[in-house]
Amino acid sequence: MNEPKIIDSGLSGGIAIVTGGSRGIGRAIVEILAASGMEVIFTFRDNSAAANEVIAANPGKKISAEQVDARDSAACAAFAEKIIDRTEKIDLLVNNAGVIRDNLLAMLDDDDIKAVLDTNVTGTFNMTRAVAPYMISKRRGKIVNISSVSGEKGGRGQTNYAASKGAINALTKALAVELAPRGITVNAVAPGVIETEMSRTVRELAGDQIQSRILLKRIGKPEDIANAVWFLSSKFADYITGEILHVDGGFKME
Amino acid sequence: MSNENITKEEIATIFPKVAETMADALGCDKEKVKLDASLIGDLGAESIDFLDIIFRLERAFKVKIPRGKIVEEARGQLSESEFEKGGVVTDAGVARLKSFLSEVPPERFKTPLKSAEIPKLFTTETFCKMVIRQQRATAADGGAKPA
Repeated sequence: MNEPKIIDSGLSGGIAIVTGGSRGIGRAIVEILAASGMEVIFTFRDNSAAANEVIAANPGKKISAEQVDARDSAACAAFAEKIIDRTEKIDLLVNNAGVIRDNLLAMLDDDDIKAVLDTNVTGTFNMTRAVAPYMISKRRGKIVNISSVSGEKGGRGQTNYAASKGAINALTKALAVELAPRGITVNAVAPGVIETEMSRTVRELAGDQIQSRILLKRIGKPEDIANAVWFLSSKFADYITGEILHVDGGFKME
Repeated sequence: MSNENITKEEIATIFPKVAETMADALGCDKEKVKLDASLIGDLGAESIDFLDIIFRLERAFKVKIPRGKIVEEARGQLSESEFEKGGVVTDAGVARLKSFLSEVPPERFKTPLKSAEIPKLFTTETFCKMVIRQQRATAADGGAKPA
């Protein structure tokens, strides 16, 4: 990816947390924020090799990784406190960590439902609860949640994932109301079909059918999502809150 | 957990720091933060300010104040149904509150008292006491740990 050359996005010098930043969309978000001059601390659940690769691939950038399970509220609180003790502020939280366990409803087992809701929904609650008090105190901050086109237009075999992303949309809007009096914006980016490891099965199963439903006739790239996150994190989006920004090449419109 | 054991001297010791912390959170002059000032009525605090104040007190005094547990703590030994019915605090509940919030002048307790209005009773001293209780709890926890 070419390094963005945009000047004064208001991001330089800021502190960002990105959950699930070692691969796919999360990694692209980490990289664009760091390229904009932010110090980015990203979390990963268990793939330390992938996390180290992100750091190694971005020499000279302020990127660090920490193993935090977003499902563990105490771990999220301790993680946020540790950052605050060192930096005294958190300017941006990107709740990106998510998992997918697609299957027809009748075929889902308990764990398929629990795993998706725990990481995608409870994980977002946990990290946001850990970080929001610091933003409230500073009376500034931005929160960007990664939702999905499924949150509004779930496909077959996606009841658990769609429900989790619908919850993220609702959370985003309600939290925007709650935090607006303190100058904190809360928005979401809803990706369509993106070329990542996580969506590989979906893409393989659906084949050309998916592409035919995307107005722009191509699968999205992680960078397409990262660009939208960058925008919502930047000073250019200071007057935007409670929005779900669809970045899907026109997928939801068909 | 009894309020009576919290002395005026203990409160006076931490009051300046509590007042400063509250003034920072509410964006008002420190002088305005009197010990008996009602946070909502006198200082214009909103519900989100309580979170901010608690958060700042935690950091200022290095204690952990359980979030959302203030009213629960005020309830004491009373069960939820003994404490309130249909959103209104029972007579037993009011008696318990008057004891727990002994710093609040009796005339501020409205009748009937809605549970949602309990935070309106909180004064600066309420938060001083909250910090002292947590300091004691922290000290007790520390003492209980094996060497």
